[in-house]
Amino acid sequence: MKIRVLFSVLACKLSRFAIRLLGRGGTDFPGRVALKLCPDVLGHLAKNVTTVIVTGTNGKTTTSRMIEQALADSGISYFANKSGANLLSGVTAEFAMHSSMTGKCKYDYALIEADEAAFKFISRYVNVKAVVVTNVFRDQLDRYGEVTHTLDNIRLGIANCPNAVLCLNADDSLSGSLAEVVDNPVVFYGVDTPIYKNRVEELSDAPYCIRCKHAYVYDYVTYGHLGGYRCPHCGNRRPDPAVSVREVVESNAERSRIVFSVDGADYPAAVNLPGGYNIYNACAAMACGQVLGLDLVVVAGSLSEFACGFGRMEKFDIGGASLRMILIKNPAGCNQVLNFLTDITEPFVFAVCLNDRAQDGKDVSWIWDVDFERLVNMGDVLDKVLVSGVRADDMALRFRYAGLPMDKLEVIRDYGALTKVCIAQDKPVYIMPTYTAMLDLRTTISKQYGFKAFWE
Amino acid sequence: MELKIGHLYPDVLNLYGDRGNILCMEKRLQWRGIDVVTTGVPIGEPLKASDFDLLFIGGGQDFEQEVLLADLAGAKTAELKAAIEDGIPVLAICGGYQMLGAYYKTWDGHQCDFTGALDLYTVGSKERMIGNYAFACDELGVNVVGFENHSGKTWLGPSVKPMGTVLAGFGNNGEDKTEGARYKNVFATYSHGCLLPKNPALADHILKTALERKYGQIDLAPLDDHLEHSAHDYMERRLSRN
Repeated sequence: MKIRVLFSVLACKLSRFAIRLLGRGGTDFPGRVALKLCPDVLGHLAKNVTTVIVTGTNGKTTTSRMIEQALADSGISYFANKSGANLLSGVTAEFAMHSSMTGKCKYDYALIEADEAAFKFISRYVNVKAVVVTNVFRDQLDRYGEVTHTLDNIRLGIANCPNAVLCLNADDSLSGSLAEVVDNPVVFYGVDTPIYKNRVEELSDAPYCIRCKHAYVYDYVTYGHLGGYRCPHCGNRRPDPAVSVREVVESNAERSRIVFSVDGADYPAAVNLPGGYNIYNACAAMACGQVLGLDLVVVAGSLSEFACGFGRMEKFDIGGASLRMILIKNPAGCNQVLNFLTDITEPFVFAVCLNDRAQDGKDVSWIWDVDFERLVNMGDVLDKVLVSGVRADDMALRFRYAGLPMDKLEVIRDYGALTKVCIAQDKPVYIMPTYTAMLDLRTTISKQYGFKAFWE
Repeated sequence: MELKIGHLYPDVLNLYGDRGNILCMEKRLQWRGIDVVTTGVPIGEPLKASDFDLLFIGGGQDFEQEVLLADLAGAKTAELKAAIEDGIPVLAICGGYQMLGAYYKTWDGHQCDFTGALDLYTVGSKERMIGNYAFACDELGVNVVGFENHSGKTWLGPSVKPMGTVLAGFGNNGEDKTEGARYKNVFATYSHGCLLPKNPALADHILKTALERKYGQIDLAPLDDHLEHSAHDYMERRLSRN
């Protein structure tokens, strides 16, 4: 048995080395090689490693980067699957790469971002101390079918973690309901106040009570279906969070200043990414810090220090041009980006790169659920719209029916050309790519202007 | 001229992009100087079909469809059936399409009774039929492209016709090559997501049907549809390569 682990780790390391020599990422393939040679290799590699898992529909990567900074600032020895390889194969590769040749991990902690559907396969092999669930929204229904299936996948993942404490979003009636179907201890986190003055119009992904199917009543909504919900029929309601954002002091185009409340104590924090959804991510990270027994003053401080994940509001300053890349993958996430953008008062250029490969979601029809009308209604502040990607035509159509004057719209199919046009703008450019478009764009920018590749 | 659109269950049947079909119909009318008013008919509100010139029913998730079944039974079903017999144009997508049939039987034998407005029924299968697809719509002589995502297999009875013949993908059941259903002025299809923007000929045909029922023979002014055709043709080309 042991010899198989050895071979498996060796093969994984060698194939990663070879792929990197070719100048590519190799975040997934080496893991598949390792699993082929030893299907339970992850169990051996993860044996003495305390693992934190972050899963959920939106915000996994950003939440992980925040927790990572908190671990680093707390002096904990850890590694993380930073490149976004969040399936069993990618996670296995990360464990192997951070182990010695004999399969012994060099770190005490592993911080693992797990895909919602892959979580149940990963959790079978690792010793999980904390599971952070960010939220559940409609996402890639072409892959998961329905949100209830996503919930079920996460429940199965938790069932493999009997010793884990769960950090659940109190404001999300969907993922919050997991507390009722598992036996694990739960630390709820949430935002006690509304975040936006004006919100885009968006559909709720959960208007009806998950217990009794009557309509929820909301005392306040932060965004989407998140907020202070209660069911007048059966009494189901938002649980009181142990870790909460008591006040949103300021939220601008660069950052948010907030005050956490935990056990009656206040912890002021500055989150160095804009957008209300990043306030939730920060709150999830704070709850995780609480579960891990970290000093919460340190965790709150980490939120102004952490480096954002690739394409998560990532900023590129190239030759005087200012580009911000904001990954999108579903209507809820996209509407939050628009909530952020519609607060901007200086003219900007907006670019969308819509791909429909498996990792993007093969069904692009969700663009019709997003309130692009709000963006178009900003008038002159929205200087220009550039559309690109495999499904550029669909995106162009969406803007036509949103009422965008056609002289403001430009279809640019090639990423090299798109990058050049973006950099030539004298106004800030916000680029909203889907996942594979983000990787392609980043590669283009790295090659042309020498930024880090996504696996570095 | 003015067209009144009734949007059935906008609160629950709103899966991935259905709202775009309403948006598309509204814009294509407004661009031609025709007024349009869309009114939602949510759960708990009675349906008065004579208030509308066209009805739209979208698709939903199983959880939400169960919520509305009790509301749909009784008065709403009777009103809907009478309006359909009377020739009101209806566009029904995916779950909304299934609901016009007699029933939905899950793969493990549990049966949900639906309106029975159209002579068809649906049987659930374990595998979902998901992906971009295309069908030839003989009535209009055009190929329609869309995205399907359903586990129900729909079978048509003798009194309804299919909307078209599957060119790529699954369609009604993945077996008999039929897609969608046509009965009187009902257009029903699995093409969820945004059916109409990429298929402007179908959009205009449905609008014309509704306007002519109200105002008699009319001609719709042509629009600049180059973006629509570009999106349509891209997907048609891609599907024909497979």
